[in-house]
Amino acid sequence: MRMLGWLYMAAIFVFIFLPVIVLVLFSFQDSRLPVPPFDGPTLKWYGQVLADRGMMEALRNSLAVAIISAAVALLLGFFAAQGLARVKLPGSILMRGLLIAPMTVSYLIIALGLLTVFNNLGFRPSLWTTGIGHVVINLPLCFAILFAAMGDHQKNAERAARDLGASDLQVLFLVTAPMLKPALLAAFFLSVTFSWDEFIIAFLLTRFDVTLPVEIWSMLRSGLSPATNAIGSLVFLVSIVILILLELTVFRKSKT
Amino acid sequence: MTANVSLKALSHNFGEFQALDDINLEFAAGEFVVLLGPSGCGKSTLLFILGGFLTPTEGQVWIGGQDMSPVAAKDRPTTTMFQDYALFPHMTLRDNVGFGLRMRGQGKAKRNAKADEMLDLVGLLDKAGRKPHELSGGQRQRVALARALAVEPEVLLLDEPLGALDLKLRRQMQEELKIIQRKVGTTFVHVTHDQEEAMAIADRIAVMNNGKVEHAGSPEEVYLRPKTLFSANFMGDLNMIPEAQVGRAAGAGTVYAARPENIGLTGDISLGDARLTEASFFGTYHRCHFQTVEQGGQTYVAHLPIGALPLEDQTIPLFASSPMTLKADV
Repeated sequence: MRMLGWLYMAAIFVFIFLPVIVLVLFSFQDSRLPVPPFDGPTLKWYGQVLADRGMMEALRNSLAVAIISAAVALLLGFFAAQGLARVKLPGSILMRGLLIAPMTVSYLIIALGLLTVFNNLGFRPSLWTTGIGHVVINLPLCFAILFAAMGDHQKNAERAARDLGASDLQVLFLVTAPMLKPALLAAFFLSVTFSWDEFIIAFLLTRFDVTLPVEIWSMLRSGLSPATNAIGSLVFLVSIVILILLELTVFRKSKT
Repeated sequence: MTANVSLKALSHNFGEFQALDDINLEFAAGEFVVLLGPSGCGKSTLLFILGGFLTPTEGQVWIGGQDMSPVAAKDRPTTTMFQDYALFPHMTLRDNVGFGLRMRGQGKAKRNAKADEMLDLVGLLDKAGRKPHELSGGQRQRVALARALAVEPEVLLLDEPLGALDLKLRRQMQEELKIIQRKVGTTFVHVTHDQEEAMAIADRIAVMNNGKVEHAGSPEEVYLRPKTLFSANFMGDLNMIPEAQVGRAAGAGTVYAARPENIGLTGDISLGDARLTEASFFGTYHRCHFQTVEQGGQTYVAHLPIGALPLEDQTIPLFASSPMTLKADV
């Protein structure tokens, strides 16, 4: 029985990670197609991808969009959560629901809606419109994470700080933000990852400057190549780095 | 530092609900004042108004001869010790205690020295570098006290600070609070619903009910010579004495009553023959329930001295002495 358990676990891990392993493995493929048999290894595809100016620019665009849109979503989500957690307003439950609702709408619908709105307003598709789209999808997430982390405990500590003479800004930077640090970091890094991976909104709302997933998609249209595996592996590497950062900052902190 | 406090015609409404109704009180500088009352009587509301967290609907708070109406919470000469401690979890005890001084722009060396001095006062100097989650409830409470006192407020507000502690620890903290208050001389305004706690620590007790002050005075006054039936009842057990037994009318809207220690086997007012229905031993006295034979069986609670206990079911003549005249509840 014990053996079966281990086998089952191994099978699950293979199921989850086999595609990634294959992707990474064939990025080192020496021939022109990323299919078995494996002959290699070589780093030439990485060299080619890193020398590809379009690809590198898309990577920089993706990073910029991810970081800026995550920061904006975090800020807006924080204000909304702080407001709704502190002040009792008529219909605050409804407002909370409306803020979280976009999470249930598919990215495709959101992208189509934004496209129509931007067209009507006369905004050309660009990295900015994509960034706005990513704020739209990440704001509910940031709000939900931060709102859940704000309790009476926090409210009382803020009141105590004010009682001891802290101004609103001092309360924010010396009490609220440090107490919410794990939630703030988690919301920020999750938003960065979601924006970094996001394709549909970026595809519909960019034109000349594109993000990495869109660039990879256009590369795929010209057929499979180990170069796509190489860029895929790089994207995977970035996600792993974010995950490790998250692990080191948020989860280790929350243990103490 | 210390200052006197005047509450002038304070009223506060939460929507339709009147939480405070025309409160007029004077606290002397350096007094240990306890606001005592059941939950919902307005005592916490009053404390929040003193601290500047609530603006009263009507009336003013004066501290040290100054009208506090235009002064925000952060600028008031008051600090608060909160019921749930409200310590900053991400700071060490030293930083917690030094926080108020930091807000007043004091340098690190100076505020750390003061923080250590305050931690020493509450007996936690050896834990100055710890974080709040490493402490027990009683220790956190002491840190909250040290933090509130570090800025040398003129008035310290204590919002049921001992409510979360177990009985033994609570008694111990009451004594410590009293000692520390004597040492620093700050005016303390302490809110509680525990009458024993109030008696143990207060120089002056204000008994509150339904947003009004029923009686304010020393613990002796409030216990022995209460003004109203409500405050008499709240301060301890009470026996109603029928007017017929006292022999004279109590007057319109007033009643006679006596504490259990003033009911006994001798006294100047006869309550008639009564049967002992139940007795329990309390160490320094017997707590006895009597039921009178006549008058359709009125019950009395008496605290009899050790050795003076009649047999159970025995019928004896019962007496009361020095009854209080109380204003009945409206």
